[in-house]
Amino acid sequence: MQSDVILVIVVGTALAFDFTNGFHDTANVVATSISTRAMSPRLAVTLAALLNFAGAFISLAVAATVANGIVESDAITPTVVFAGLIGAIGWNLATWYFGLPSSSSHALIGGVVGAALAADGAAAVQGDGLLSKVVVPALIAPVIAFVVAGLAITLAYRIVGVLRPGPVNRGFRLGQVVSGGMLALAHGTNDAQKTMGVITLALVAHGNISSDHFHVPSWVVVSSATAIALGTYIGGWRIIKTMGTRIIKMDPAQGFSAQGAGAAVILASSHFGYPLSTTHVISGGIMGAGAAKRVSAVRWGIAGNMVVAWVLTIPAAGAMGAATYGITRIFGTGALGPVLVSVVLLMSVLAIFGRRLQQGSPITATTS
Amino acid sequence: MSALGSTIVDWGTLGKVALASLVSGVGIAIVFSLAIVGAARFADMRRDGRAIEASAYAVLLTLSLAAVAGAVVLGIVVMAKKS
Repeated sequence: MQSDVILVIVVGTALAFDFTNGFHDTANVVATSISTRAMSPRLAVTLAALLNFAGAFISLAVAATVANGIVESDAITPTVVFAGLIGAIGWNLATWYFGLPSSSSHALIGGVVGAALAADGAAAVQGDGLLSKVVVPALIAPVIAFVVAGLAITLAYRIVGVLRPGPVNRGFRLGQVVSGGMLALAHGTNDAQKTMGVITLALVAHGNISSDHFHVPSWVVVSSATAIALGTYIGGWRIIKTMGTRIIKMDPAQGFSAQGAGAAVILASSHFGYPLSTTHVISGGIMGAGAAKRVSAVRWGIAGNMVVAWVLTIPAAGAMGAATYGITRIFGTGALGPVLVSVVLLMSVLAIFGRRLQQGSPITATTS
Repeated sequence: MSALGSTIVDWGTLGKVALASLVSGVGIAIVFSLAIVGAARFADMRRDGRAIEASAYAVLLTLSLAAVAGAVVLGIVVMAKKS
C-alpha cells in the first residue's frame, strides 16, 4: 500500500516536471519566431505544443537512459527519484520567475544526483560520467551553435545582400515556420522521453514491469506527451521575452539562422549519441547570429546571467533534491514524507501563481 | 593529462558532431537563401518579360526548395532512428 502511494506520487511528480519542462523550454522553440513576427505568439506556441506532442511519439530509444552512467543504478529508489524531480521542478520554477533559460535536463540530473548523494553518499555518483555526459557537453554545446549560426548568417547575408529587404524578410519568416517546427519536434523527442524514462524506472522498481523486458507502456507515452504539450501551450512568457528580445534584437534572417543552426546541432548530436542541451544550443545559436552581424548587438550582461544560471543549475537543483530527500526521511521510509512535500510544493506553486495573477502578468501571449 | 582528457571528452564523436552540425546548419542557410534569391529574381525577371532568366531562377528556386525538403525529411529520419 505504502509503495503504491509512493509510485502514484512519483508518477504525478514526473508529469508535473514534464509540464514545467514544456512550460520552461517553450522559449527555446518559439522565441525567435515571435520576435521576428514570423508567427503570432499564440500560433507559435500552439504549433510548438502540437509538434512537441508529436515528437514524443517519434522515438523511445533513450527513455531508459535517464541518469544512466551518472548515478549508480542501485542508488535509484522511488524516493530518490521523487526528491530529484522536486529539485528539478523547484529550479525550473525559480529560473522561470527570473526569466532565465536553463536546461530542464540538467535540472533533472542535478536533482537526482543531489538526492542520491544525500541517500548513499559520494559513492552513489559517477564523477567521470557527470563530467563527460553533462559538464563537458554543457561547455561545448553553445560554442558549436554559436559558430554554426554565426557562419550561417554571414553567408545568408552575403547571398541575399543585393535583394530588397521585403522579399528577404518574408522568405526568412516562412523559413522560420519550418526551422521552428523542426526544433519543436526535436525537443519533444528529447525531453518527453526523460519523463517517460523516470516513470518507467519507477514502474520497474515497483515491480509492475520486469527489468528483463524493459518497455515504455502506452499510457506513459501518451501522458508524458500530453504533459509536455500542455506546458508548452501555456508557455513561459518571461523566458520567451529573454530569448526573443533581450539577448539581441533579431531580424528574420538571424532568427532562421539561429533556429536552423540549433536544429542542426541537436539532430547531429542525437545522431552520434552525444547528448546536448536544447537550451544551451539555442542560446548559443541566438548569440552567434547576433554577434556575427555586430558583436556589440549581443547584450552580454543578459548572456552572462544565463551562463551563471547554467553553472548553478546542477548544484542548485542538486541541493534542492538533497534537501527534499532529507525532509522526506524525517518522516520515515513510507509515503508520509513524499505526501507532505508534494502538498507543501503544490500550495507554494499555487500561492506564487495566485500572486502573479493578482499583480497581473506583465508578459503574456498578447503583450510579448 | 591527455589520457584524462580522452576519458572525459570523446573527441572523435565530438568532432563528428561539430562537422555534421557545421555542414548541415550552414548548408541549410545557404540553400534557403538561394531559394529566396530564386523566388525574388524569378518575380523580377517575369515582370520584366525576360523568360529565359526567369526560367533559370525558377530552376534555382525549385532545386533549393527540394534540398530544404530533403533536409527536413533527413532530420525526421535522424530523430526516429535515434540510438
